[in-house]
Amino acid sequence: MDSHRDIERIAADWLARRGDAGRAWTDADQRALDAWLSASTAHQVAYIRLDAVWQQADRLKALGAGVPSGEVPDKSGWRRSPFFAHRSLAASSMAQPAPTRARTEGDVDAASGLSALRFRSRSGRPVRRRGLRLAGAAACVLLAATVSLGGWYRYAAPTEAIEFSTAFGDVREVPLPDGSAATLSSDTRLRMALTRRARRIELEHGEAYFQVVADAGRPFIVQVGETRLIAVGTRFAVRAESGEAAPDGDRTVRVVVTEGAVRLEPGGGVQPSSPPPLLTAGVVAMVRGSAVQVESGSPELAERALGWRTGDVVFSATPLAEAAAEFNRHNARRIVIDDPALAQMRVDGGFRIHNVDGFVRLLEVAFDVEAERTDDRVVLRRR
Amino acid sequence: MDESLAEWFAREILVHEEALVRFLARTWPHRDDVYDLRQETYVRVYEAAARSRPASPRAFMYATARNLMADRIRRGRVVSIEVVGDMEALNVSLEEPTPDDKAGTWQQLKRLADALDRLPDRCRHAVWLHKMEDLSYREVAARMGVSVKTVEKQISKGIRRLAQFYLQRDTGDAGTGETAAGSAREEPHG
Repeated sequence: MDSHRDIERIAADWLARRGDAGRAWTDADQRALDAWLSASTAHQVAYIRLDAVWQQADRLKALGAGVPSGEVPDKSGWRRSPFFAHRSLAASSMAQPAPTRARTEGDVDAASGLSALRFRSRSGRPVRRRGLRLAGAAACVLLAATVSLGGWYRYAAPTEAIEFSTAFGDVREVPLPDGSAATLSSDTRLRMALTRRARRIELEHGEAYFQVVADAGRPFIVQVGETRLIAVGTRFAVRAESGEAAPDGDRTVRVVVTEGAVRLEPGGGVQPSSPPPLLTAGVVAMVRGSAVQVESGSPELAERALGWRTGDVVFSATPLAEAAAEFNRHNARRIVIDDPALAQMRVDGGFRIHNVDGFVRLLEVAFDVEAERTDDRVVLRRR
Repeated sequence: MDESLAEWFAREILVHEEALVRFLARTWPHRDDVYDLRQETYVRVYEAAARSRPASPRAFMYATARNLMADRIRRGRVVSIEVVGDMEALNVSLEEPTPDDKAGTWQQLKRLADALDRLPDRCRHAVWLHKMEDLSYREVAARMGVSVKTVEKQISKGIRRLAQFYLQRDTGDAGTGETAAGSAREEPHG
């Protein structure tokens, strides 16, 4: 009889051969394996032992979810998974970045809610931030900002109008006729018209990041519904939130400024009592009608809110509902959260925007979430 | 092969491997035998369980290991009074809590991650690409610039080492059959 060490080696060889998806596992292979296994209990035991651990190792996928595809990180560096971050068992290198002092007011960890409407204090307690209020008490009244397409360019005949769009799941950078550039996120459509006095962009839906070349004589104006953003030379992103993000059907616009400054002219039909706010680099603003909420952090943190440009999204204490919405903007297979409490659960970590499976697997193993998968969606429930 | 028996075996017996190896290493004077003793214990437990599942699997496993060592002594393969004496004293280990029995998901994953990181570089690389990215061996081979055969060998080695590191986190080389010298010798053929 072979020694136990030899047996283990043969058992491992069988498992290795069987596991190769690129090689057909034939009936003859199965018969040969069965014959080997039935020859001795020692064979079976060795095989069961290795097989059990090898199957367990599939769960490592959840831990590797934060690692970009195509990369084999070094031994200390790959544990970017929310697991290691959450349980404080992580290597120190995996610690959260130090909170950046908020520029406008208070102690706000700007990383914590870049895409959130509510802002957290350092203690993690949700705090409703005042932000920049444009119209005093009127700001509390969320006025319906109907999206009126094209109304703004009637008063100045465009010299040219060009439409740009991306398909669902697509991200594309396009040169604009004035020398600026726009990066269009998934399922985005915008039109650009140049006049002698202005460069006008109408964002119909989706999100775009603009790198604007300076031209003092012709401001760069991005309009979403009635919200207008006016830049000279700067870099910023504008997103028209879908109805899903704004359940009451109101149109919410997210603005992220990574360089320079953008002047905001909110819509909503209420004349602002103060001058229009200037959104500076590092700002993430949510605009709905005349209500504006502003969060200020560093430009680097603002960049992180735009992870879709490179396909790497980073969540930091992000409500699961928002994380799911981010995935849903880029993937045909939708994540549906079937539990309001679950929707509020906060998640951390970096993910490939198309790695829905990795994200969901992580939720399953880390957060007692149960996923029901169909071809076109993944429904999440509490286990 | 009986699937439910295999599952039972993994769930009730294999989870105690670390404690079993420690027990064998403490009891038996020859460390080189620990690996064989472990596997022999598994064979006996598995065969017994095929007939009838023991009510207390862990206690049964230890009893089996003790009987096995006693058999070996009786057969004269090892004659050592100390061994017999030690074995009587080792009933204590039955009462030892085994922290890994009920290890939560998190601990299991941490163990897996640690085990993965203990693999030799090339081996870890192959396992990573295969497991994390679901690549076929041909694709892994292309990424690593090696032959498909080499990938299969590295995976096979990874399977063995992962099992060892995962099941016996803290037991060092005892009973693993994978001492430093041993693994160096292994390199040429796998």
